[in-house]
Amino acid sequence: MDGYFFLFTGLKILVVVLFVVNTAAILTWGERRQSAMIQDRVGPNRAVIYLPGWLLKLLSLAVGFALAAAAAQYAWLARKRPDPVRIDAWFGLTELGILLAWVGLVVLRRQARRKGEAHGIGGALARIGDARTIFYGGLATHVVVALARALAGDSEAGAVGGLFQVGSAVAVLLLAAAGVLGFSRVPSGKVGVRLGGMLHALADGAKMAFKEDFVPANADRMLHALGPIIALFPAFVVFAVVPFGDTLCIHVNHTGHFFTDLFMARIGEISNAGYSPVVPRYGICAEGAVPLQVANLNVGILYVFAITGTGIIGAAIAGWSSDNKFSLLGGLRASSQMVSYEVAMGLSLVGAFMTYNSVRLDDMVRWQSEHAWGIFVQPFAFVLFLAASIAENKRVPFDAPEGESEIVAGYYLEYSGMKFGMFMLGEYMELAISSAILVTIFFGGYALPFLHRDGITFAIGETVYYHLKMAHVAVILLGVAAFFAKTWLVCWAQLFIRWTVPRFRYDQIMKLGWRFLLPSALVNMLVTAMILLGIGQGGPSLSAVLDVLGDLTQALVLLAGIAGILGFISALLAPPREHKRVVSSSATFADAQGGTKATPMQA
Amino acid sequence: MAQPSDKGIVGKPVPRPKRPPGTQAFVPEILKGMKVTMEHFFRNAKEVALAQRPDPVLESLDEGITTVSYPEQKRPYPERFRGLHRLTLREDGSPRCVACLCCSTACPAQCIHIVAAEYPEGDARRGYERFPDQFVIDELRCIFCGFCVEACPCDAIRMDTGQHAAPYDSRDQFIYKKDLLMAATGRDGSRETENPRHEPGDPTHPGVDREQGH
Repeated sequence: MDGYFFLFTGLKILVVVLFVVNTAAILTWGERRQSAMIQDRVGPNRAVIYLPGWLLKLLSLAVGFALAAAAAQYAWLARKRPDPVRIDAWFGLTELGILLAWVGLVVLRRQARRKGEAHGIGGALARIGDARTIFYGGLATHVVVALARALAGDSEAGAVGGLFQVGSAVAVLLLAAAGVLGFSRVPSGKVGVRLGGMLHALADGAKMAFKEDFVPANADRMLHALGPIIALFPAFVVFAVVPFGDTLCIHVNHTGHFFTDLFMARIGEISNAGYSPVVPRYGICAEGAVPLQVANLNVGILYVFAITGTGIIGAAIAGWSSDNKFSLLGGLRASSQMVSYEVAMGLSLVGAFMTYNSVRLDDMVRWQSEHAWGIFVQPFAFVLFLAASIAENKRVPFDAPEGESEIVAGYYLEYSGMKFGMFMLGEYMELAISSAILVTIFFGGYALPFLHRDGITFAIGETVYYHLKMAHVAVILLGVAAFFAKTWLVCWAQLFIRWTVPRFRYDQIMKLGWRFLLPSALVNMLVTAMILLGIGQGGPSLSAVLDVLGDLTQALVLLAGIAGILGFISALLAPPREHKRVVSSSATFADAQGGTKATPMQA
Repeated sequence: MAQPSDKGIVGKPVPRPKRPPGTQAFVPEILKGMKVTMEHFFRNAKEVALAQRPDPVLESLDEGITTVSYPEQKRPYPERFRGLHRLTLREDGSPRCVACLCCSTACPAQCIHIVAAEYPEGDARRGYERFPDQFVIDELRCIFCGFCVEACPCDAIRMDTGQHAAPYDSRDQFIYKKDLLMAATGRDGSRETENPRHEPGDPTHPGVDREQGH
């Protein structure tokens, strides 16, 4: 318990709170824009900030040249490093250069097509019918260069080393060229920045803070004000037990000078053999372990259940204090729904606890990293928990407490201004938190397939096919980024459920909770217990088979991830669909004037 | 009054909807629904992000987002669209209007107000025609029926500006006075019309006036 403990805890709280609040804000934008895309609308994107074009031009130039300078310095410094490190540095820059090259070619081809160029390099690019050929060519080059690196060996690089040197130089030039390309493409007048419509959500938030705060005449003023605060509170504190990264080993010298010690701190392991930036795969840090989790409680997930349960008090109080029958009905519905689904939610995870042999979330992630992700081990529990957590968050299709067609807006009917904003923020924060918990329990938390504390170890069963040592700090950062990315992905998928499924009737919600989810959770528990007993009796040969199966699921996740990324890029580059031209009177008129223009057409 | 039937109420039996296990399990049906929503999402998100949306006017019946992003994009009005009024001018820049009050008489909404005046002594047109001292149209009251244009014998009032009434913030801004009406141009940018005007003294003038004619 020294100053560093408070410093690190403060930083962790800051990261977690910033992540949850910002995710909630982004989700309010994401939900509206996503629903628009689903329903063939543009969605809210009117809010705009105009920036002068020269500023953006200078920014593009500055960023491009700064990145180029950084890459050049990196390549230059690598010159004096020992052999494998030097070659790896140049190899990395070469791959970056290839990436920039094919992305640049795609952009230039699009530009040439827009302009209708027919001659020279632009014409040659414009004649490429399908942008995906450029992408596939780039991908093949990536793979060829990676193979060359693998074949070159660590000490005697020879011609390949020279090639990588040239590749690094090309990467530096391309970074600078990207800055120049950006400079030439930004229009010189003022440029409207909309951030994809995110500014609209920001403007809405600002509006909410300045709106009238209306309280009904006969409402209980104190409870009416307390409701949103109680509803928001659990959303802030639940994230405390969710680990957003692996335990960080940081070595701080204790010479008595707080900041000097802090800036001289080293991330990695210090042992009798000296300092090493790589830590061993198993075991805990020799000293200075900082778990990336605000509170490492031994009750783990039980804390989550306990705290999220209190959120319902806010909804109930809001419904009661508003002096409105619809509000009261909404509050009652929310309470009964919460009570019903809390049971099923807790029981659906018992199978997972038995498999992971712990209720601590960090232990669960570690188990999944070593064996298989929870979705493969407990697929049925995943469906049950997902349904129960959506019901807990009172989101579609379980949004009977808000059911606008029956009881207007339910328990927050009589709320306006920032009090309503707090309910809304709380709802989206709960969505972010439920996604984080789903990720932690079923999608490996911060774990990535074959990435362990000492680096990448590609192994099926006992056989190790590939091993790459990675610095501790890189592993930790990758893990944190993976956790946040997975959480956003699950949030995004949950939004899809909202825009796909119609609302259940109230009796259907109750039936589903008590007659289906609860018994199913019990059966899942029973079956898991029997299987675990069987595995316990099976002996070492069975556990070896299970280990291989677990590694195969990790490989499956890896393959699915790679296929997803490649499929995403090639779908983006797929040729645009042919549009149907129609002859309406205004279309004919616009055609006679030379097509639709972005200028005042109504003239 | 009809007697109640002995058999009680007999309804038409309606078959229960089929609920195979796949439907009852709900999850496969949700996945099917999500496939539909995701198809729309990915197609539209890609077209918006890469600016490949269908043209909101030329391809307006296509699938995908065909919303007109007003005011950056505007739907062109048809050629004969009746927009805000303008008063056409003669070659010397004075209004063609002769203050005959035909338009204000024809107007069903009674939104045109004209105060007629005589040309000064010695003007060639004095005694032959008058001119509007005031010409006021309440564009908020106008129903854009076009009767005033039909009624005008001099092609002096037209609705070919292609402008719709702008969203002003007070009512008096909708009161269009003579200067404003004379300043408006047609879609071709001209303040005159194609129809020739025959002034007194022109060789083409039929020579009809109060002294010598009918």
